[in-house]
Amino acid sequence: MASEEYKREYGQHLVEQVVKGQMTRRQLLVRASVFGLSLTAAGQLLAACGGDDTGSSASPAASGMPEPVMGGTVKMIGPAPITDPDPVTIYDQGGIVLVYQFLEYLIDLADDNALVPKLAESWTANETVDVWTFNLRQGVTFNDGTPFEADDVVTSMERVLDPDSGSGALSQLGGVLSPGGTKAIDAATVEFSLDKPFADFPYMVSSGNYNTAILPRTYKGDIIKNPVGTGPFMLDQYVTKQKATFKKNPTYWGKDDQGRQLPYLDGLDYTMVEDNSAQNLQLQSGAIDLQPQTVFQGAQALFSDPNLRVDIYPGTGIREVAFNVTKDPWKDNPNLRKAVAYCLDREAINMALYDGRSNLGYDTFWEPSVFAGSPPSTPRAQDYDMAKQLLSDGGMPNGMDITLTFAKYLENPQYAQIIQEQCKPAGINVKLDQLSYDAYYAGDDNDYYGTTPWINGAMTITEWGSRPAPGIYAAAMLLPDAVWSSSHWDNKDFVDTFNQYEATVDEASRMDLAAKLSQIQSDDTPILLAFYITQLRTQKKNVYGVHGPGSFYCDMSMAFMSA
Amino acid sequence: MLRLIGRRLLLMVPTLILASLLIFALAEVLPGDVGRSILGPYATQEQVQLLNEKLGADRPLVVRYASWAGNFVTGDWGESALQKVPVRPLVLKAFGNSLILAGFALVLIVPTSIVLGMFSGLRRDSVLDRTITVSTLSMTVIPEFVSGVVLLYVFAVWLKWLPVSALPPDGSNFLDRLYYLILPAIPLMFLELGYISRMARVGTVQVLSMPYIRTAVLKGVPRSRVIFGHVLRNAMVPTVTVIGSQVGWLIGGLVVVETLFVYPGVGKLMVDAAKTHDVPVLEASVLMVAIVYMLANLVADIIVALLNPRIRMGG
Repeated sequence: MASEEYKREYGQHLVEQVVKGQMTRRQLLVRASVFGLSLTAAGQLLAACGGDDTGSSASPAASGMPEPVMGGTVKMIGPAPITDPDPVTIYDQGGIVLVYQFLEYLIDLADDNALVPKLAESWTANETVDVWTFNLRQGVTFNDGTPFEADDVVTSMERVLDPDSGSGALSQLGGVLSPGGTKAIDAATVEFSLDKPFADFPYMVSSGNYNTAILPRTYKGDIIKNPVGTGPFMLDQYVTKQKATFKKNPTYWGKDDQGRQLPYLDGLDYTMVEDNSAQNLQLQSGAIDLQPQTVFQGAQALFSDPNLRVDIYPGTGIREVAFNVTKDPWKDNPNLRKAVAYCLDREAINMALYDGRSNLGYDTFWEPSVFAGSPPSTPRAQDYDMAKQLLSDGGMPNGMDITLTFAKYLENPQYAQIIQEQCKPAGINVKLDQLSYDAYYAGDDNDYYGTTPWINGAMTITEWGSRPAPGIYAAAMLLPDAVWSSSHWDNKDFVDTFNQYEATVDEASRMDLAAKLSQIQSDDTPILLAFYITQLRTQKKNVYGVHGPGSFYCDMSMAFMSA
Repeated sequence: MLRLIGRRLLLMVPTLILASLLIFALAEVLPGDVGRSILGPYATQEQVQLLNEKLGADRPLVVRYASWAGNFVTGDWGESALQKVPVRPLVLKAFGNSLILAGFALVLIVPTSIVLGMFSGLRRDSVLDRTITVSTLSMTVIPEFVSGVVLLYVFAVWLKWLPVSALPPDGSNFLDRLYYLILPAIPLMFLELGYISRMARVGTVQVLSMPYIRTAVLKGVPRSRVIFGHVLRNAMVPTVTVIGSQVGWLIGGLVVVETLFVYPGVGKLMVDAAKTHDVPVLEASVLMVAIVYMLANLVADIIVALLNPRIRMGG
């Protein structure tokens, strides 16, 4: 099928879904982006739907944003990278936010997780969704003057797929894209031949999979010494565990809607501070302009500071409460797992942990308030009668004693205590097993995944950063071959349905399959998902134009400071 | 005296060897490994093993120690596997920063503590004595993360009199650096004031009860001469010993203050290195602090010997 014809048909299909009420307008934008429809084309589709344009990107005037001001340096604050960042292996906030300033991905994520063309101008799949063709942006150069070409994409992907590289992307791409599956058709076209159909593949080469940043083909693993990238800024100075400074890339390809050269800013200063209290105090003192990620705990003073603005935007980060189904009492006993689920008062949890600002979850990844294209969810209210009945059905009529293992990190301890309190009335006694962060993620040298507590505890709380689509989450933790599966869940019906789901393009069919997946996950409840964490970003009131979804990204290419 | 110094310096060698062995052994029992620290929890086991092989972290402990020690004594401190920079400049820079902060804090702490302790001792059981004792001990029990946050909020956020970070801008002169260190030095002063002034007070009270002080007073020696010529000199013996024992902590134990005030000192460097199994950095940092600790105690002993001839003779 010719790609343009294919896109036209797919666009028409999306319009029909909206007209039938089977998809919201926001969902149309997100799904359109997955199949490479441009914003203009998506806007035309919305117009075809009739009604108001509820697109995700408001114009500056409409959002009350002043006209961009050129120049200036924004002072940012955040944690130091755990190691000197290497884009191939980074996994922590400090490393990701830094490399994001001078490296780019084929695709970026908008604040609502819609895909935004970056180094790829467009992309399309074949009918069976197992071959994806990406058309690369022309005229882009790395900041050392080397032109960006398809070979750079091929080497970047092959690098992260090489087990020797140590890249975490391998765990995400495994089973979907193998070494040798990426080919340069010509200097401006790349083709990905997948191991299996995967409709969410564009997310895997987006900034949502942070190790897939595009590096020059000559990259030797020395990004700090040779910070060569195509991004809006250039790394100017890097002092380990202290600071990084950036200056604008004068040859950056990006321009705004008015044709003005991006970035607006002259530079960025990033101060590395581990402690959240210290970060907040620096913000309040006026020494810092922007904190890309603000942690809820301790942020109350920032909300009330007249000089600061805390942006709240939808996030998809979770705290996965996993029932290890290979261990008692959870083994072959979904009733007991669901009993715990019915003990939870999710609104109270949201209020206690996030001031009521996060989105509620009901133990499935297909949550429509968070992920576009998800079927309506079935809320799970606290119901102790139901919990006691499920306990009885599960062979524990007198209640049970369970152990919850978690790291002393972020809001995990508070969340664990709430679970403990809310389970008590049903007769479920939760023993809290709090470990240090290092101990929770430690494991034996010779058998890490067979020994580490976060994968092997009977019941665990594990913090996950944002993922852009429910399929990405499910592939990472709910499939039997997922290396990060704390639940060890192995449900054939779910696996078969999931494979169909990822091989399906038709949105109505995808919605049906998503409903089925959601039902299976809910019925079996291998994990509890009580909420999807809303993200906070704090800046001085004169800082505008900062974008970036999820917990780690911070797109400064359109940021500016008003007078 | 010279023999005493020589013997103490020689004793440092086996102590440092033992310390370095202990660090290697303790790093071994910490959960995790350097490969996992670099690649994170999401890398596969095979990837971590490959990296550990490349870094030589999979070799037996004895082999790794022998290799590290052999290089260290020849001046090659190795490279940080995590930061990918040579260890020596990394550690020496952090150590230098810690020395400056500790030195500045000591300049504030020592005279203030001694003066307060002396006054307290000279006015034993008076209102002044009780006021000094209660207030300095109260300050001592406030954890530095509490006093630090309060001080930051009041002086940096609210009044904006002092900078919120201890790290001055690049190119700052020495006085600017000290200005930036005022706020972080105050929690340290709070912690040490009660302890050292208490020792100065006890020393003063003890010396005041000595027969030779009574004799001097009865002989009509002026009070100022009694205090500065006899009391101060002898009362300082326990105080100096305590100060000597605190110097090591002031250089290597300021993790909380360094974290809160964003100061790149050796304490934070050590903790980070321990958490990430960066053994070369951990070894070098701990040994530097150990050397300072031992030297500070040696200097304290020398000062005590100079203050008290009986100790010198015994030595």
